[in-house]
Amino acid sequence: MAELCLGIAGLRTAVVTPDPDLAGIVRGRFTGFVSSGPADWRLEISRPPGRLPSAGDVVVRPDGGPTRFSVQRRDFAGTVDVGARRADVTLTPDDVSLESFVRILYSLALVEAHGLVVHAASLIRDGGAYLFCGPSGSGKTTVARLSPDATLLSDELSIVRTTGGPAVCFGTPFRGELALAGADRAARLVGIYFLRHGDRHAVLALRPRQALARLLPNVLFFAREADITAAVFRIATGLVDAVPCFDLSFRPDPGFWEVIRNA
Amino acid sequence: MPETYLTQSPRVAWRVYDGEAVVLSPDDSTLNTLNSVGTLIWESADGMTPVSAIVARICEEFAVDPERAGRDTLAFIATLRVRGLVTVSETIPQAR
Repeated sequence: MAELCLGIAGLRTAVVTPDPDLAGIVRGRFTGFVSSGPADWRLEISRPPGRLPSAGDVVVRPDGGPTRFSVQRRDFAGTVDVGARRADVTLTPDDVSLESFVRILYSLALVEAHGLVVHAASLIRDGGAYLFCGPSGSGKTTVARLSPDATLLSDELSIVRTTGGPAVCFGTPFRGELALAGADRAARLVGIYFLRHGDRHAVLALRPRQALARLLPNVLFFAREADITAAVFRIATGLVDAVPCFDLSFRPDPGFWEVIRNA
Repeated sequence: MPETYLTQSPRVAWRVYDGEAVVLSPDDSTLNTLNSVGTLIWESADGMTPVSAIVARICEEFAVDPERAGRDTLAFIATLRVRGLVTVSETIPQAR
C-alpha cells in the first residue's frame, strides 16, 4: 500500500492506494505539492472493478448524510465525506481523471477551512497576490503568459482562503492551457479582477454586490445542500468585502499591470 | 380575500448590500438581486407579517398607490415562490 501526503492551500491529504501505477500518477501529477506532517484528510484511490456508472458531466449528490456526497463522472466514481474528512474513488488510471477528482474533493473540503476554489489565474507580484477570474476564453492563461516576472500560482483554478486576517491566495497544482502546475506559494490577496478582452486596458472598481454577482459563477462548487451552499456564500461575501474588486478590460500586452498599479 | 403570510425558505443564503438584497438559491446557484422594494418584501417575509401590511409599508415608503402596490407585490411574490425562495401560507406558520 503506497501512501503520500498532498499539501494544497494548507490542507493536507493522505493519499493511499494499493496500485503502484496509480501511486506513480499521483506523484507525477502533484510534484511540488507533496507534503509532510499529519494529514487533515484521507483519500483512498483504486481502479474500478468493472465498468464505471455512466455519467457524462460531474454529478455530486448527497449520499447517506448531510455531509457525505457521491461524486461521479464517466471516468471516476467516489464519495467525499466532509464530516469524517475521508474520500474514496475508483478511477481510470490517468492523471486528468485523478486531478479532476482532487479538484472536486478540495472544492468540498476547503469550505470548512473558509476556502474557495475559483476559476481564476493567480499570480504573485511585488509580494501581493492578484486573482484574475473568468470562464474559459476570458484570458486567464493570456494574463499568466504576459506576466513572466510574476510567480504563477495557477492559470486555471486558484484557491483563496479567508481564515481570520487578510484573504490569502494559494498556488495549486491544477493545470490549465499552460499545462503547468502553480508554485506551492501563498500571498496576501490584494485584488480580484474579472477579465474581459478589450481594445484597451481599463479597470473599473466594483461595489461588493457587483463583485459577488461576478465571483459566484466562477466558484467551483457542485453540491446543492443548503448548509454548505450558505457557507460558500458567506466565504464569497467575506472575500468581496475584504478585497478590492475590479472589472479588467485588457488587450494582449503586459500594459494591464500599469493600469492595475494606478487603479 | 384571506390574509397571507410569506416565509423565507431556510435553504437560501442572502445578504443586503446598500439596501438591496442578493439571494442565492442552493438548487441552481442562481443569484437573485432585488431592488429596494423587493428587499423590503424579502426582509418582511418572516412568516408573521401579513402581506397586506407589507403592501401598506410599500405605499408609505415608496409613495405608490395601494392598487398598484398590491398588484406588483403579488406578482413579485409569485416570482419568489416559483424560484423556491419563499413559501406562502394563509396562517402564521409558527402558530400551526
